[in-house]
Amino acid sequence: MELSESVQKGLQSLADATFFDMKTFSVFIEVAFRSLLSAHADRSVLDQPEFKRLDQKLLKHCHTAATTCILEGVKQNADKSTISACLEDVGFDAERTEVFYTTYQKCRSDLETLLSSLGRCPPHINDVSWRLEYCIKNGHVHKVNEPSYLISLNVENANNGGSSEDLHFSCTMEQLQDLVGKMKDAAKSLEKATQL
Amino acid sequence: MVIWTGVTGSLPQFLRKGTNPKIYEGAARKLSVDAETVQHGVEGLMYLLTESSKLMISEVDFQDSVLVLGFTEELNHLLQQLYLENRKEIRHILGELTPSLPHYHNLEWRLDVQLASRALRHQVKPTVTMKLHLEESGGDKSAKVLQTDPATLMHLIQELEKALAELKTTHCRRILRNIK
Repeated sequence: MELSESVQKGLQSLADATFFDMKTFSVFIEVAFRSLLSAHADRSVLDQPEFKRLDQKLLKHCHTAATTCILEGVKQNADKSTISACLEDVGFDAERTEVFYTTYQKCRSDLETLLSSLGRCPPHINDVSWRLEYCIKNGHVHKVNEPSYLISLNVENANNGGSSEDLHFSCTMEQLQDLVGKMKDAAKSLEKATQL
Repeated sequence: MVIWTGVTGSLPQFLRKGTNPKIYEGAARKLSVDAETVQHGVEGLMYLLTESSKLMISEVDFQDSVLVLGFTEELNHLLQQLYLENRKEIRHILGELTPSLPHYHNLEWRLDVQLASRALRHQVKPTVTMKLHLEESGGDKSAKVLQTDPATLMHLIQELEKALAELKTTHCRRILRNIK
């Protein structure tokens, strides 16, 4: 796991008992993981009473280092030996490594979900709503007497900060049958693929 | 009569592609009247055909309508033939004038598995990528690339099958049968 010099320095400070005793260290690790998982950036995340006596600059540096290390680990799907080796290199003793790794295991799958949702992709369909109507006449043609469907796909743009929009289109019964048929083909292939 | 048939024969073409003044001039020369008279005559007939098609009137009603114009029986019959042969197409063209949403044209799909991204390696994320082809009533086509996950795909299929099933219910069948 490659970490920059700045990150390594921050972790070294974290390993240092003169700055962080065990209690402060444990609280710090909890705070670091929590700050990654919370939905909104919380300016007061480092305002814990345990950190009052610490130099604020040092605190921020350690926080950045810890979160970078955590994200790198989750990104690479690092196992216990990789994490342990990495932390050992920066001077973590066995107890601190254990605290870090335990919290890492606890938060890992949530962090993975978070990271997997980042990135570019085509607009994502979330839902569909439909309306069946029977057209009797319109301004240009009378006695139409035909049923038709109005379909609305609720689509989320991952790129535009999660804005969602609706895609509307109409179709006849035959066209809807075609659409559903093709979707079912896709679903069938999906099922076959999962059995391979 | 022959010239008249020639002019009326061009009527469907006028309705499809727009009028052509040259045909008016040609007919005017042969009929020994001026082009404007021919144009008015043709426009009158076009109106007759479009209104009749719009309302989808029966043969009897059509005959009654043209009777007031005082044409010969042969001409009335000819006009009726013209109406019956072209009304479906005229209705289709008129239909394109109505306000409408783009309608479904085709769906292409593709199964992908995302293995890694910049933010996360070692992934196995199945996705279904689809290209939805839509067409405006004027003929403009558009295609949108969309993506979904397997669970949502099953949900979409379920919902749309419910929509299709609705048409077969007693309620809908009754409406479709009785409003004609």
